[in-house]
Amino acid sequence: MSDRAENLLLLVPGLFLLTVAFLLPIGQMLVLSVSGPDGPTLQHFTRFLGDPFYLGLLWRTVRLSLIITVICAAIGFPLAYIMAHVGPRQRLWLVVLVILPLMTSVVIRSFGWMVLLARSGPVPELARDLGLAGRSFALMNTEAAIVIGMVQVLLPFMTLSILGVISRIDRRLEEAARTMGCGFLAAVGTVVLPLALPGIVAGSLLVFTLSASSFVTPSLLGGPRLQVLAGSIYNAVTQTLEWPFAAAQAVILFAGILLLLVPYIQLTARRHG
Amino acid sequence: MKARLASATLAVTALVSGAALAQDKTLVINSFGGAYEEAHRKCVITPFEQATGASVQITTAYSADAFAQLRAQKEAPQYDVIHFSGGQEIVGAAEGLLAPIDAGKLENIGNLYDFAKANIAKGEGPAYSIAAIGLLYNSENAPEAPSSWKDVTDPAFSEHLVLTDISNGYGMLGFLMLNRVLGGDLNNIQPGLDAVAKLLDAGALVVSKSPEIQQEFAQNDAWLAPYASDYAYTLRKAGLPVKFVQGSEGTPASFITVNLVANRPNQDLALQFVDMTITKEAQECFANALRYSPTNAKAELDAEVAADMAYGEEGVKGLIRFDPPTIEANRAAWVEQWNKTIAR
Repeated sequence: MSDRAENLLLLVPGLFLLTVAFLLPIGQMLVLSVSGPDGPTLQHFTRFLGDPFYLGLLWRTVRLSLIITVICAAIGFPLAYIMAHVGPRQRLWLVVLVILPLMTSVVIRSFGWMVLLARSGPVPELARDLGLAGRSFALMNTEAAIVIGMVQVLLPFMTLSILGVISRIDRRLEEAARTMGCGFLAAVGTVVLPLALPGIVAGSLLVFTLSASSFVTPSLLGGPRLQVLAGSIYNAVTQTLEWPFAAAQAVILFAGILLLLVPYIQLTARRHG
Repeated sequence: MKARLASATLAVTALVSGAALAQDKTLVINSFGGAYEEAHRKCVITPFEQATGASVQITTAYSADAFAQLRAQKEAPQYDVIHFSGGQEIVGAAEGLLAPIDAGKLENIGNLYDFAKANIAKGEGPAYSIAAIGLLYNSENAPEAPSSWKDVTDPAFSEHLVLTDISNGYGMLGFLMLNRVLGGDLNNIQPGLDAVAKLLDAGALVVSKSPEIQQEFAQNDAWLAPYASDYAYTLRKAGLPVKFVQGSEGTPASFITVNLVANRPNQDLALQFVDMTITKEAQECFANALRYSPTNAKAELDAEVAADMAYGEEGVKGLIRFDPPTIEANRAAWVEQWNKTIAR
């Protein structure tokens, strides 16, 4: 068998899954999003795009996802750097620690945060006792609560993506930079960080798309007054049974993510192709 | 000895016939999870399995989710019996997703109050429990006990008031009642929305799931929440000082119905299940376990249990049922208006 045929053969299961589980449903969703009672229509899109309320949901979704991605990268990069530099035993423990949050159900984890962040929960109480906040200070049902809860869940995706890249960087490059007079921070900034960029890009893509499409954590921690787009889609499907409108919202979310991600990938690929 | 022999024979028969009938002897139903599902098992499912030798598969799905599934499975339905608490049976019957029920096939149907079985021939399954919506309050911390729906708008409560999102069935009924008391009706929910906007500005909280109500009462000093009588009992069992009171202007009710799914092979077995659900025993069991009002006129409750709910034909007849088809027709628009009102 030629290499080409072998490659094709290896691709088949993945392609099959992609077709059945992704392309077909996406196609169906596209059709649904333009279906109306009297044939094809764009009314679901005009309803969304013509209403500041829904545009606000889209903007909140994108904004929070960006914030979550940046915070994950800011925490994930140093974490991955340290993980790459400690011994294999400690690394294993750190990896376990990082992925531990993924081992509990998202609902349980979010309820944990709800208890911690609630008006009389330990976190706001501590902030009040330390004089950092006023009497009515609360974290539950704020965008901050959504960001905190999401960062905890998504940090492993960022950290492990970066770890994979950092651990393959030749350590001698960094050592060379240090012997040539770089300080620690300068060496990390000018040598490690640029080389780790592919990992940061991959992690960012994962974190951004996952946070833009998640609805359980935002709806539990943000409450019904701070909806995100994925939550609005969920409600349209299960509560108000407006499936074409839900499909239109999903298409808009999909297009919105694509619009942001394609230039991001192109930009970073051009610099470090 | 005789009994043992009999049960041994039964077991052997069951084994022999079991394999052949396995397909025919399985029912798929939905239940509502948690304490409800526990009571559901105890009151209906286990007795049914013992009586018929059938096995029941339970999928946990609230009414709205279960209905969305039923609709999605229109071509190949997966449930045999489906339970709703938000009036979904009316839409389901109209869309042909639910099968009409022949009253002659249900032994216990004669004992149900008339309103509970009015449309079974159209496919709307009988109501087997009723949840009454009233005011839950903290009997220790609230400055005074509420007595009317207007008390929800009392500024003294605002910072300790918990409202429920109208994506929740009980939340919808509580909101419609508040709207009605403030001068609105099913054609005009603006008075209710205006009041909610004001209450939120004054510090009230909106939650979307019932466990959050428990958390607010347990942890965050909630005093007042319009919600269902059964949930007051749940909170009391959890050790919270919560009482239930019916608002003086009236009490909206949510009917919990058991429905026969159309185009399924096991309809006779499913009908037996429906019949079991509406027996006097099952309804007394539900009332004792969860404080839902029975719809079987023969059901008898202890005074202590009856005090927690609307009980008896007179008590139940006085309940307000907001027209479910009107709610269904307006749900999407109302939810959107509500979301815009509460959005920050």
